[in-house]
Amino acid sequence: MPVIAASEVHGLASTDDKQLKTALGQWLDSPPRRIDRLILQCLLAAAPLKAQVRSNCGLYLASAHPARATMGALLEAVCVQHKQPKPFEFVNSVSNAAGFHIAQQLGIDGPNLFIGAGEQVWPQLLSLANLDLQDGLIEQALLLVCDERGDFCVQALLLEGAITSAYTNSFNELSAGTEVQRIKL
Amino acid sequence: MTPIYLQRAALHCALGDDLHSAARALQSDQPPQGEPFVLHEVLEPRTYLYATKTGESLSERLDRLLGETLGANPQALDDCLLIIASTSLDISELEALTSQQQSFRPEDSTPLDLLASQLRQRWGFAAAFTLNTACTSAANGLLYGARLINAGQYARALVLSFETPSAIAMQGFGALMLTSPSGQYRPFHPERDGLLLGEAYAAVLLSREPGDAPLARLLGGFSACDTSSLTTTREDGSHIHWVMQQALRSADCTAAQIDLVKLHGTATSANDEAESNGMRLLYGEQMPALSLLKPWLGHTLGACGLCESLLLLQALQLGPLPAVSYASEALLPFSAEAQQLAADSLLLTNFFGFGGNNASLVLQGCAQGDTTCR
Repeated sequence: MPVIAASEVHGLASTDDKQLKTALGQWLDSPPRRIDRLILQCLLAAAPLKAQVRSNCGLYLASAHPARATMGALLEAVCVQHKQPKPFEFVNSVSNAAGFHIAQQLGIDGPNLFIGAGEQVWPQLLSLANLDLQDGLIEQALLLVCDERGDFCVQALLLEGAITSAYTNSFNELSAGTEVQRIKL
Repeated sequence: MTPIYLQRAALHCALGDDLHSAARALQSDQPPQGEPFVLHEVLEPRTYLYATKTGESLSERLDRLLGETLGANPQALDDCLLIIASTSLDISELEALTSQQQSFRPEDSTPLDLLASQLRQRWGFAAAFTLNTACTSAANGLLYGARLINAGQYARALVLSFETPSAIAMQGFGALMLTSPSGQYRPFHPERDGLLLGEAYAAVLLSREPGDAPLARLLGGFSACDTSSLTTTREDGSHIHWVMQQALRSADCTAAQIDLVKLHGTATSANDEAESNGMRLLYGEQMPALSLLKPWLGHTLGACGLCESLLLLQALQLGPLPAVSYASEALLPFSAEAQQLAADSLLLTNFFGFGGNNASLVLQGCAQGDTTCR
């Protein structure tokens, strides 16, 4: 598996967005403003790989859930308080908003896909990325999976070159032989 | 890219409760009648284009759509990938729950993969996933579904795409001041004032084989992220131009070979300007036939890539496309007369969305009754 870099972020359910912003500030010079928890979590996993990412890279991001706080704020505003949503919350609720901010911060020009993270999330991301790698549309692929059920974990892999081995569904197997940059909050 | 057939399809939308009826309504120049809703706080009226009300739950509606797509006595789906390409997913159900409870609890949140997982189990698909790239969701579903077939991972892929009437979408686009106060959906008109949202449900079965009544072949496409803005693309049209060029390259054809461009045409100020500029970069002043479909369907957001493609392809099989009533004033050279194009025309279709996602597809229609479609 042509994995050239990997990262993993672990945080507690009690880790608040301010702590995530502080941590992100250690990796990015100008982190985006008014972003939600899902975007912060995904950016924090992608940022340590920035030095190795080139522009001809594709981004393949998966999350099990939308940003629940954003979703809750929108539902409460519209369905309970009968108010208009705050524009930045509405825009952040777009599932691929996290992918946009990662691409912008890391200078990624290639395809940018977002999928729901199901049981076979890694093989699904790998198969989508490999279509673009094999067709020569990109030279690198950045894969991220965000999972927040109570505590949260975001895992990221940077691939260079097409995948020729079987797709596996384990981050540990995929990142074996690569130094994983770990952030614990 | 090796061409992949759009073998069987179904559509429920504001123009009709089946694909054929919708295409007939398009050709008879009968725009759908919208229904009013009110923007919260500012209390301004806006218009929404609903599909036919049926009283079905979302699951019942999607099951009916899949049944119509696959036909009577479908073969087992254990060789078929299901891609759900939607921005709304189950949001309308969460909205109803929140209204009923007068609150939203974190535990009410549902997994993004829930509908895909339920439909995979109920229908026996080989695999399933949810793809969400805002308004390019369905276009990417078609493109990546076809390429996964070409890669030999699946024999077939079913792309299921829908946009339900979501209060958050209606109010959210209103808050961004992107919905039309006049209720007139006029993309590329100099006095355009925004979009009308629309409800739609669409599905298509992709295969290497044409089947008995193919709609089209997907010849190629391209999708990439413009990182200049989360909500608009570069106004000079340069990213749209590049995406269209890459799509044409993947289909091994040139801009001059294209018979018709189906524009994204949201009728928002910045995006129509950007698409106009992108088209001029690709074509100069000599453009092929141009088509607008959002005035007929509403903007169906993540579903527009499939709804608009299916409506266009079915309409081409049935006869001429409607004229644009304000052609002489528009930013691009639309036809003031109904346009008769061959059903097997070569089509470039554009879809752009929030998150910087821009996508273009290249399709070739199939003449009605032509089972070889080459």
